[in-house]
Amino acid sequence: MPEYDAKKVAEIHQHLHSHLPSDSALRVKALESLLVDKGLIDPRTIDAWVEAYTEEIGPKRGAHVVARAWSDPDYKQWLMKDAPAAIDKLGYLGNATAHLKVVENTDSIHNLVVCTLCSCYPFSILGVAPVWYKAAAYRSRAVRDPRGVLAEFGVVIDDKIEVRVWDSTAELRYLVLPQRPAGSDDLSEGELAGLVTRNSMIGTDRDLTAKTGGIS
Amino acid sequence: MDGIHDLGGKPGYGSIKIDEPEGPFHHAWEAREWGISRCARTPDISIDWWRHCRELIMPEDYLERPYFDSWAQTDFATYIDAGVMSLDEVVSGITDPDQYDKEIPPLPLNKTQVILEDRKSAFRFDAEIDTNPIFSIDQEVITDRQGHDGHTRLPQYARGKRGIVHAHHGAHVFPDLSAQGEETHQHLYSIVFEANELWPEVGGTNDKVYLDLWENYLSGQSI
Repeated sequence: MPEYDAKKVAEIHQHLHSHLPSDSALRVKALESLLVDKGLIDPRTIDAWVEAYTEEIGPKRGAHVVARAWSDPDYKQWLMKDAPAAIDKLGYLGNATAHLKVVENTDSIHNLVVCTLCSCYPFSILGVAPVWYKAAAYRSRAVRDPRGVLAEFGVVIDDKIEVRVWDSTAELRYLVLPQRPAGSDDLSEGELAGLVTRNSMIGTDRDLTAKTGGIS
Repeated sequence: MDGIHDLGGKPGYGSIKIDEPEGPFHHAWEAREWGISRCARTPDISIDWWRHCRELIMPEDYLERPYFDSWAQTDFATYIDAGVMSLDEVVSGITDPDQYDKEIPPLPLNKTQVILEDRKSAFRFDAEIDTNPIFSIDQEVITDRQGHDGHTRLPQYARGKRGIVHAHHGAHVFPDLSAQGEETHQHLYSIVFEANELWPEVGGTNDKVYLDLWENYLSGQSI
């Protein structure tokens, strides 16, 4: 049982700081082998999770959700009202999305998602978060200088557009619904999904185009 | 806790390294740590206690070591704290059979099975409670000015600030107590703050910051 003693854990961290090898690969290898030795884990299941999050569970799921919302007004309405149920319809409900909220970009609103306190992310629809999302520069600046952050991503936001930053401080997770690109009227749902970038669903990308995409 | 993890608005972290390789993992060990985190967990642990243990990593390690390395270190700390591993085992990498009775290993799962497990891990944190929400939509509220030395999800930058209730989400597990092993539920709201309420350098702008905050963090009284 955990003892919930912060002082004790801080001391454990000091010991780990002094005694663990510096190489992260060695640290994780030691963790895995201890868990295997104690019968708490099977390495084949670790393999399966890595495969699942490399091949199946990633931003292409979110892109499919966005493309469906662009193509089907009823689905979009459902997604905005009850996102967990709407993504479950496509088979994408899962890790960290039971309290998903979708926030919609419009001509006058741009949404940007961050987690300043840790690294909360809607894993089952966007997969593993990019390194920058979890790094101090993004986490510290997104709430204070969102327009400067966006400029570093090559996104210039007109002064007339309101920027809304969503800091994921609870178990709610946020997905940005980007605007459908002009000139995409004739595209199928599958083709539309190909235009959606991961960053557009976090909010560090804005103007998608009907020609360039997306997630491979 | 006003620890190193509470990064919102803090200066000095420089530009964002936006150029990184495609794909979820950039090193094999990152993928292993991700997989470990998905299929093993310290017994009887709450996500809030795990987060608090990550916040307690020494500041230089928290900021300078790679992200998934901090997950491995947090796992070590919670396993040691819970008595599943000893510090000696962790440092040597060698299991001491007297330290912890070996479990019967779980059956291995394949990719199809873990995708089903992922669906099952859509955990909810809300519950019905007997009390009605104190605050209503569009009401002005003021956040707690002080904070405390344990785990909390009210960031420093949003303390003692005036905001408006944007949404009510029912009652959710209150993290400050969950990180101490007590599961209680409390009304949770999205609160919207004007950027110029939070940041002195921001002038005339309509930009806003939304945070999800529990009732204990909020007051309807003027400061």
